Amino acid sequence: MSDQRLKTRPDSVLEDPGALAVAGLYARSYLTAAQQNSIQQPQDEMNSFVDEVLVGYPEFAELLTSDVISREDKLGIVERIIVPRSSEFFANFVRVLIRHGRFGLISLIRRVMVKIQEEAAGKRRVGVRTARSLSDESKRLLSDELKIKLGFEPILQESVDESLIGGLIIQVGDTVYDSSLRSRLKQLSGRLVEKALNEIQIGRDRFSHPERD
Amino acid sequence: MKFKSDEIASVIQKEIEDFRGQMQTAEVGRVIEVGDGIARCTGLSTAMSGEMVEFSNGTRGLAFNLEENSVGVVILGDYLRIQEGDEVKSTGQLLSVPVGEALLGRVVDPLGNPMDGKGPVLTSERRPLETAAPGVAGRQPVKEPLQTGIKAIDAMTPIGRGQRELIIGDRKTGKTAIAIDTILNQKGTGVICVYVACGQRAASVAGVVEILRENGALDYTIVVASSSSDPAPVQYIAPYAGAAMAEYFMYQGKHTLVVYDDLSKQAIAYRQLSLLMRRPPGREAFPGDVFYCHSRLLERAAKLSAELGGGSMTALPIIETLEGEVSAYIPTNVISITDGQIYLEPDLFWKGIRPAINVGISVSRVGGNAQTKAMKKIAGSLRLDLAAFRELEAFAQLGTELDKATQSQLDRGYRMVELLKQRQFGPLHVADQVITIYAGTKGYFDKVPVKNVQAAEKELHEFIRTEHADMRDKLVEQAALTDEIEGALKKALEAFVARQASKV
Repeated sequence: MSDQRLKTRPDSVLEDPGALAVAGLYARSYLTAAQQNSIQQPQDEMNSFVDEVLVGYPEFAELLTSDVISREDKLGIVERIIVPRSSEFFANFVRVLIRHGRFGLISLIRRVMVKIQEEAAGKRRVGVRTARSLSDESKRLLSDELKIKLGFEPILQESVDESLIGGLIIQVGDTVYDSSLRSRLKQLSGRLVEKALNEIQIGRDRFSHPERD
Repeated sequence: MKFKSDEIASVIQKEIEDFRGQMQTAEVGRVIEVGDGIARCTGLSTAMSGEMVEFSNGTRGLAFNLEENSVGVVILGDYLRIQEGDEVKSTGQLLSVPVGEALLGRVVDPLGNPMDGKGPVLTSERRPLETAAPGVAGRQPVKEPLQTGIKAIDAMTPIGRGQRELIIGDRKTGKTAIAIDTILNQKGTGVICVYVACGQRAASVAGVVEILRENGALDYTIVVASSSSDPAPVQYIAPYAGAAMAEYFMYQGKHTLVVYDDLSKQAIAYRQLSLLMRRPPGREAFPGDVFYCHSRLLERAAKLSAELGGGSMTALPIIETLEGEVSAYIPTNVISITDGQIYLEPDLFWKGIRPAINVGISVSRVGGNAQTKAMKKIAGSLRLDLAAFRELEAFAQLGTELDKATQSQLDRGYRMVELLKQRQFGPLHVADQVITIYAGTKGYFDKVPVKNVQAAEKELHEFIRTEHADMRDKLVEQAALTDEIEGALKKALEAFVARQASKV
């Protein structure tokens, strides 16, 4: 068998919104359960499991997500390998995931969990797109300004897009505030075209309504 | 007058100096999957059903399905340039089309973009594609005639302004020809026409435009064209776009005529969309709301009340049947929505009876209200004559000996059938129609051999125009067959018969 994994579907650019919704459900349940059982820092164990175990041993991750192996066998593997090395709470979570056939979502669940915790702490992610990378000073200024305007602690996620020419685009959730030079130029060109069309129409009207001249 | 170069430069310079770009705020989402004219998007959490959205490359779309985690968008344009991950912006507006006088004489796509190379459509007014039909109080009964210029229709299945009359028949039976003739006949009547080509061959649309142009009908006509190579969403919205353009004139108190050619193709486009959007299929795999899709479109045809200006919108939807199957899903739906149907038959068409209207099963539920007095007076006997003729025709084919009365009734019938034939693109004025039908039903053509009837009819029109123009003018003016006019007509016809006899 070759080392390369057989690719059965093209890579998705975006997450499946359905999967995201399911992952959100598990993440919230995990955090609530942790709170009720007064477990401190429940994300630590999850982080170390995903980053060290699953990323370090991709074959192991594949074993647990593969459809070839039955759920009973997977549970057996969990009992032998994970349970002796983890807390009872986290082991239970892994058992639930395996039993529901949702183990493949674990890294997504981790990501959603981070987001939920951030929101609980009054922080939200704000996407900032600029034509050139921002200096630390301007980042700080932007961050302070956004905090005043939006009423929460922004976590800036910067990206550089040279096609903007100048200015910046800020995205909070689904809402986009676009004040880039690119879109302003687009507005201006639209305005000029409209103006030119009006001039043409006035020229035409002069022929059809000559009494106006 | 010449432009000075600095003049133009300064205008633009000033424009740029004065320009204050505003920050644009928009609700965005991203495309998760795209194909076959539809896209599924995440985000767009505030999108409304039917709202217009814009993709990052400028293509517009219509929020069609609002689901728990995603929004189904139909793409109105080239979907091959949209990719997974592209940004999609909600606009907070309903889909709308430009409307107004500037559209007259133009060929536009269903979004109102010109397709005829005559430059931009210069109008500032727009109308949403979907608007509610006028209510009960906003209407009045249909009582004004809309002359099609086709004898068989104006006499027996009259169409009123504000009526919805279905033209139904197999392929190649002359459905479009009837609609085009009707448009041609609106010349000089002030009726504004909209021809919506939905899923037609681009070549035949070009042909229609050419015919309209040649006959000088394009000046009062708007052509909304979506050919069969256009994506299904574009074909689906075409009739609504045409209706919106006509509505604008209707609410200005003008009379309009809209031809939807044809609605069976639109239903097929809608079926494609719905199935791709995973809406459950029903009968013939059409979605459950295909009836509503047509009923809300055709309900927009109306005769407005005097308070609303008294404008009207007459709709001539066309349905193509397969092998004469009128009991299929879409034909029965549209038959039940419309106020009557003109039924075209291939058998008649190949027998040379053109327009191939089966007058027996074609009906108009508005009926005599939408006829001029003159036509109403003579058309009644025409229907009866033809009905009696059809009964007798079967006997005649058996070769049985017939008594004289029956034979004469048969002969009259053959001549009436000849008289109802009409060439394409040759609409007749209602006064000429009255003269023809009067002469036919009163037996003035009985002596003419059947094969010469059409030529004799032509001669009759010429004769009346040249020698009895005053009588015809009166008939045109009064639109009623008063005793005086009838007397004059009788005299003229007798003179005509005498002349025909002397020629032989």
